[in-house]
Amino acid sequence: MSGRLALAGSIAGLCVVAAIAGPYVLDSYTVNILVRSFLYAATALTVDILWGYAGILTFGQAAFFGIGAYAAGITFTYLDFSPQNAVLALLAGLAVSAAVAAVTGWISFFHGASPLYVAIVTLAMPIIFVQILYSGGTFTGSSSGLVGYNTFDLSVESWFTICGVGLVVLTTVAWFFVNSDFGRMLVAIRENEQRCTYLGINAPRIKILLMVVMAMIASVAGYAYAGYTVVVAPEIGSFVFGTELVMWVALGGRGTLIGPVLGTIVIDVTTAYLSGNLPFVWKLIIGSIFVLVIVALPQGIIPVVRTALGRMWSAATGRSAMASSFTVPAIVDARAGRRAGAGSDAPALDVADLTRSYGSLKVLEGVTFKALGSELLGIIGPNGAGKTTLMRCLSDGYERTGGTVAAFGQTIARVPPHGVVGFGIGRSFQTTSLFETLTVAECLTLARYRLDGAGMMSRMPELALPDSARHVIAATGLDREMEIECRHLSHGMKRALELAMVLALEPSVLLLDEPTAGLTKPERTLIGNILVELVQREGLCTLIIEHDLDFVRDISTRIIVLHQGKVLLDGSVAEVVGSELVRTIYAGGEHKGAAR
Amino acid sequence: MIALALDIITTAAILFAVAAGLLIILGVLKIVNFAHGGFLTIGGYSALVVTQLGWSPWLAYPVAALAGMVMGAVVERFVIRPLYDRPLDAILATWGLGIIIGQLITIIFGREIQFVQTPIAGATSVIGETYSLYRLFLIVAAAAVAAGIAALLNATRLGLEARAVIMNEPLARGLGINSGHVRFVTFCFGAGLASLAGALITPLSSVDPNMGVPWLVNAFMLVLVSSVSLTSLAAAALALGGAQVLVSSFVSPVIGGLTIVVLAALLLRIRPAGFGRG
Repeated sequence: MSGRLALAGSIAGLCVVAAIAGPYVLDSYTVNILVRSFLYAATALTVDILWGYAGILTFGQAAFFGIGAYAAGITFTYLDFSPQNAVLALLAGLAVSAAVAAVTGWISFFHGASPLYVAIVTLAMPIIFVQILYSGGTFTGSSSGLVGYNTFDLSVESWFTICGVGLVVLTTVAWFFVNSDFGRMLVAIRENEQRCTYLGINAPRIKILLMVVMAMIASVAGYAYAGYTVVVAPEIGSFVFGTELVMWVALGGRGTLIGPVLGTIVIDVTTAYLSGNLPFVWKLIIGSIFVLVIVALPQGIIPVVRTALGRMWSAATGRSAMASSFTVPAIVDARAGRRAGAGSDAPALDVADLTRSYGSLKVLEGVTFKALGSELLGIIGPNGAGKTTLMRCLSDGYERTGGTVAAFGQTIARVPPHGVVGFGIGRSFQTTSLFETLTVAECLTLARYRLDGAGMMSRMPELALPDSARHVIAATGLDREMEIECRHLSHGMKRALELAMVLALEPSVLLLDEPTAGLTKPERTLIGNILVELVQREGLCTLIIEHDLDFVRDISTRIIVLHQGKVLLDGSVAEVVGSELVRTIYAGGEHKGAAR
Repeated sequence: MIALALDIITTAAILFAVAAGLLIILGVLKIVNFAHGGFLTIGGYSALVVTQLGWSPWLAYPVAALAGMVMGAVVERFVIRPLYDRPLDAILATWGLGIIIGQLITIIFGREIQFVQTPIAGATSVIGETYSLYRLFLIVAAAAVAAGIAALLNATRLGLEARAVIMNEPLARGLGINSGHVRFVTFCFGAGLASLAGALITPLSSVDPNMGVPWLVNAFMLVLVSSVSLTSLAAAALALGGAQVLVSSFVSPVIGGLTIVVLAALLLRIRPAGFGRG
């Protein structure tokens, strides 16, 4: 980390020097253009954080840029320029942008929203903004905008230095932000939002907050633009500018920060020089390059350059340029006693008359049972019996059609999965559902976000895990693979990580959907032993779905048989295994079950 | 009152014709074709060329459809095909294509507004109300477009394959359907429809290199609320287009221009299936 930090620091330092020295070296036309490019680049940076890191494709940053610019333009035109009014305009721009972004975010992000939807809403935003400007008549200057108001008494050179240094600072802060624990969480939300919500992360709220902050940054850039150019016109808040920002980010390289900044500056300056001579041809060339880059180099130009430089560097020095950049956090003990429902007399899980229907099809009907702490409840039943649906209804308050679910006497209302996690219910998935590009350590850190929070600007040096999770990673050897990205793990390791992540949530009720599917016999035994020990030692109420009757018999304290959406049997292991009924359902009894 | 009702119906017909091509491409290829505006523009300029050559204005429609299909074939082969697995990138690439088409047209035809000849001029009396004949013709044209698509989907082997791909692409491939071929033909067809719509709307307004963009956004919103169904699209065009006409007449034309976008966005928030049955 320190090497990379030093490198980033020296690059930032050089850029600051350049921002101060620039006006003395460059001709005045270039300086003039560059100020504008810096402001565009700052806005492109916000698009990159939203799109490149958090996966929110937005065309709306132009509208926030426009709001900031018009806040300045209107204030200076009608109230005249004064230091007080300058502050007033800045605050007004920030407030309006934040409010509009919050509303947009509320409309765009909700449990189950498609990623395309936010693109649509943000596409509509600049269109609406421009129409509002048109209907504002002379007050907003309609299509010609506002010109020639009094503004800051600053030379072009000062603007250059202020905007240049501002851009360097913003980029540096953004770099720390995206590399922090919080930044990793954004990537996790992009890759697998559903899994994040089951880790207790309120993804919609995080996205709305991010959108509000990015809107405010774009608004400041727009404000500076209005102060510098002394002209505001509808074009700066338009749909076309919104798409141009996305194009610059895509060309530079999304998710790289530096790519979009350099891409914007290079393209904007070139445009300024070329558009005078060949306006249409230049736009045609940009459009063609854009299509080409999207098709052939989806990562953009900067990553390609960086990979090439990295190869040259390692060829020249014999060292790998792509060394691991961050230290792995040390694993420490988690503070005890934060389990939900501790000390409660009510059953850990109380399910009453649970129903789930899709139209006229009833997948679950009248499911009623109680489960206590220190019980390991096996749930068996043939395919299509409704086992996984039951898990879904227990872990997502919106899923069930009727009936009630209570944990430790508290009824679970219709809340999204991240709310259910707050009741102490943790769930693992039937198909491994991890974050492909995150490392093992990052996945575990993510699972701890609900309890430990995440640093906005840094990585935590320590990773606090409860005993149970530490036990799983130690027993399966995951503790030696902390730096490995999840996609490189073996299937068994992935299952173990999945289990460790759920345990890291410190749940009081554990829902496991076929935790041993596709594992070898020794791996299965290992996980089984861990589970039994967990239940006995920590009093964790565990529900486990399994097809392997032998496995269930070995570890369970009680078994529930589901058949065609109803509870067929609920009894001790001996009762259920000895039951004729179960043998009939499984058509051939134990043998077939064991073979699975 | 009658004029208002006719306005609503003709507006819905125009919106339906404009959005149909986008809907078909979204249904089969699962990508949002932002070059749709560009294809509309191509249709508009095809009509302009027909006018400039002094041909019959009726010829504008086949010429536009053909031009759109040829462009669609080129675009599908070189841009759309590599992006099948990246739907969000396809939005961006097709937007870039829209820019390319707009700039090429600007270079060839200039950026000024131009007018085309209309095949049907004049007005007629509908229940005592004088109304533009061409707008009435558009109802017929939209109905013909709808009937044409329905016939293709329901009565041809390719239509059957297209419906199979819409419902379950992996399964369709497993059954030996060449989904690549279905995609190619669908994209050409959708592009041709877009150009035809461009030629249909030009006599109402004028042509300029960016004429497609405002239509694109409305068409896009309509398609999203109709969950890949032609009947839902017709319903959405009638409901939202009607709202647009009402707001434009009674509130303000500027706000009227936003009606479809705002209503569709809110509708999707409340009911993600939109006008579909979901």
